[in-house]
Formats: sequence, structure tokens, C-alpha cells
Amino acid sequence: MLLIHRSPRAANAVRTVSPGGELFVASVVICMILASFGDAVDPALFGEAGLEFALFDLGGEFSVLAMRHWHLLQLLLAGGILAAGIAVLRVGAPAAFKILRPAPRRAIDKVPI
Amino acid sequence: MELEFFSAAFLSALFAIVLIDLVLAGDNALIIGLVARNLPKGQQRRVIFWGTFGAIAVRGAMAVLVVYILNVPGFMLAGGIALVWIARKLLTPDPDAAAQHAAQAPAVSFAAALRTIVVADAIMGVDNVLAIGGAASGSIVLIVLGLAISVPIIVWGSHLVITLVDRYPSVILLGGAVLAWTGYSMVVREPLLAPWFEGHAATRLVIAILVFSISLAPWYSARLSARMKPLVVLLPALLIWMLAVEVAASHWKLQVDYLLANESGEYLLEGLRWLGWLPLAAAFLWLRDQLAQRSRSARA
Repeated sequence: MLLIHRSPRAANAVRTVSPGGELFVASVVICMILASFGDAVDPALFGEAGLEFALFDLGGEFSVLAMRHWHLLQLLLAGGILAAGIAVLRVGAPAAFKILRPAPRRAIDKVPI
Repeated sequence: MELEFFSAAFLSALFAIVLIDLVLAGDNALIIGLVARNLPKGQQRRVIFWGTFGAIAVRGAMAVLVVYILNVPGFMLAGGIALVWIARKLLTPDPDAAAQHAAQAPAVSFAAALRTIVVADAIMGVDNVLAIGGAASGSIVLIVLGLAISVPIIVWGSHLVITLVDRYPSVILLGGAVLAWTGYSMVVREPLLAPWFEGHAATRLVIAILVFSISLAPWYSARLSARMKPLVVLLPALLIWMLAVEVAASHWKLQVDYLLANESGEYLLEGLRWLGWLPLAAAFLWLRDQLAQRSRSARA
């Protein structure tokens, strides 16, 4: 029997985990998969292809290549930053969209210019 | 392989080992208590001391064994696959886990008590030692440090560990992710597969996603609706299909890259690679529906 099974919360971690903790671990897992993508792509291919790849790097292949052979601590740090960014977006994006929403037609005269 | 002290690789491996020690620590204190409870008072102290000593000795011997075994070709791959299963088991909720332990019956003699404690620790410590061996990447210093960390947890740290994981269950999820990551790195480090991976670098990504999709399945399946649950089976199955086609193509020297294909047979093979899994997936979903309907009608 594992020690963690003495705690009912820990034994059922997939259901009792906090949203913040879950977001952090999910971000770390995403960073791990991106790092394995960096390991899977041969950087020589990009070198041969030339600058056009850098110009059309919409998929972010170059940024992923920077994660080649990253260690766990780097992945945890990157996961933490990614999770913080997503949390800020979750709070900030609705506020930004609220500002962009047009005023109701009836209230248009009341909008101070 | 020895890592440089306090380098990022060393500290990362050390962190992985600490985390693995925390989440895979066995409940030795409970086992020792259960085994010793029926012995006379005078023998209980001796059983607790020698039981703890035996558990530590077994853990040390297994760690040394794992270092040597992981150098044998093929064992790194087997260890990586075992870690995927261990991570999956760690994340699977088990309401009856507290009732299951390696020492089911109290011992009646000192020797029997000692044997039960040592065997129970050996059973509980296999996954821990294997994971530490994989995370240490063959570094003896890290293996020794891993043991030095796990032994105090065995002897004194159980309450601390329970408090930590009870307050932060995300430690378990992180432990599962680190185990999956260690399993993936063990699979891609396998010496027998190294030449193949050099020629098929992209398959590393497929293996990474396969490892994470299998080991973290209990986590993400808990978030999926009933309609989306088949994804838990379909995603790993699709990835295994892709890998199998890649392996078959390299074994029979077939061209499966459509950019390099120039014969109709090669295009056909490419089509099979990308679409061949669809009938299998449809058959799986049909069979799943039939079984669900049958069980519903049997209940009604």
C-alpha cells in the first residue's frame, strides 16, 4: 500500500485537485510534450531550409526547438510561467472583450466622449 | 554516467527523485505496526528495529541491482513501459486502497515478522527503486541521494508526506507527469532502439504523446463527458497504429513519405497509414455501443 493512500484526498487526486494546481501540472505536461517535439525535430533540417522558415514560423517550430533537451526544472519553470499567463488571460480577456463590446443603441447618447 | 554537481541536469534529476520518493513511498510504518502487534512486548521493539533495518537494506540492494539491470540492453525499454503503468496506477482513484496492504495477517514469531516486513518492503519498493534508477540516468551519486531521501521517509516522514499530499493533491498529478516523463526518457534512451530513433526522429514525439496519453488517462478521462470517453482508447490506439506502420515500413524497406513516393503502391501505403485506422476505430465504437446496449437491456 502506498503512503499517499492513507489520505482520501490524495488517493482521489484526479478529482480533488485544485483548479490552480491542475492548470500548473497541465502546463508542465504541455511543456514536456513541446520539449519532446524539439527533440524529435532535426535542427539541421531548418538550417538547410534557410531563412524562409524563420520568416514563416507561424507554427512556432523555432521557439519549440529552443526547448530541446530541457531539464525537469526548466520545464517546471516554463510550466509555471505558462500557467500564470493562462490565468492572467482568463481574468483579463473577458475584461478586454467587455470594453470592446459596443454600447446599447438606446444608451448611445449617454456615452461620454 | 556521472552528472556535474549542481548543474541543471543534476538538480532536475534530484527533484524528480524527491518527487518520486514522495508519491511512491510505501506505508512501511503501518506494515511494521501490523506485523508486530501480536508479538510479545519484548519482541516488538526488536521487530521494529530489525524490520526497519531490513527494509532499508532491501531497498539499498534493489537500487544497486536496478543500476546494473538498466545497463542490460532491453531493460531500459521494459523499465520505461513499467513506469508508464506505475504512473497510470498512481493516478487511478482507488477507494479501497487503504484496506489493501502487503501484510494481511499478524506474524506469530520474530523470524516470520521480519520476513513479512522485508518481503512487503521489497514488493512496495520495486516501483520506487525502478523510477529512481530511471530518473538518476545511471548516476551512482543520485541513486545514493535518492536512497538517503527515501530512507527517512520510510522511518520518520510518513506523517509529513500525508500532510503534504492531503493539502496539495496536485503533487500526485505532478508525480504522475514526472513518472511519465521519466518513462519516456527511458524508452528513447534504450540502446537497442537508438539507431532506429536516429533514422526516425519524429517517432520520439509520437512516443511522448503515447506515453502521456496512456499514463495520464485516469486524469483526463475524469474531465471527459460520456460521449468523449472513447478518446481514452482511440488516441493511444491511433498512435500505436502510426508507430506500427513506421516500424513495418522500416522493416520491409517501404516508402511511406508521400513527398518521396513515386509509385501507386507507395501512395496506397501512405493512404493506409493515414486512413487505415478509421475502420478499426468505427468497429471499436460499434462494438462498444453494442455492449453498452446489451448491458442496459440485461439490467432492464
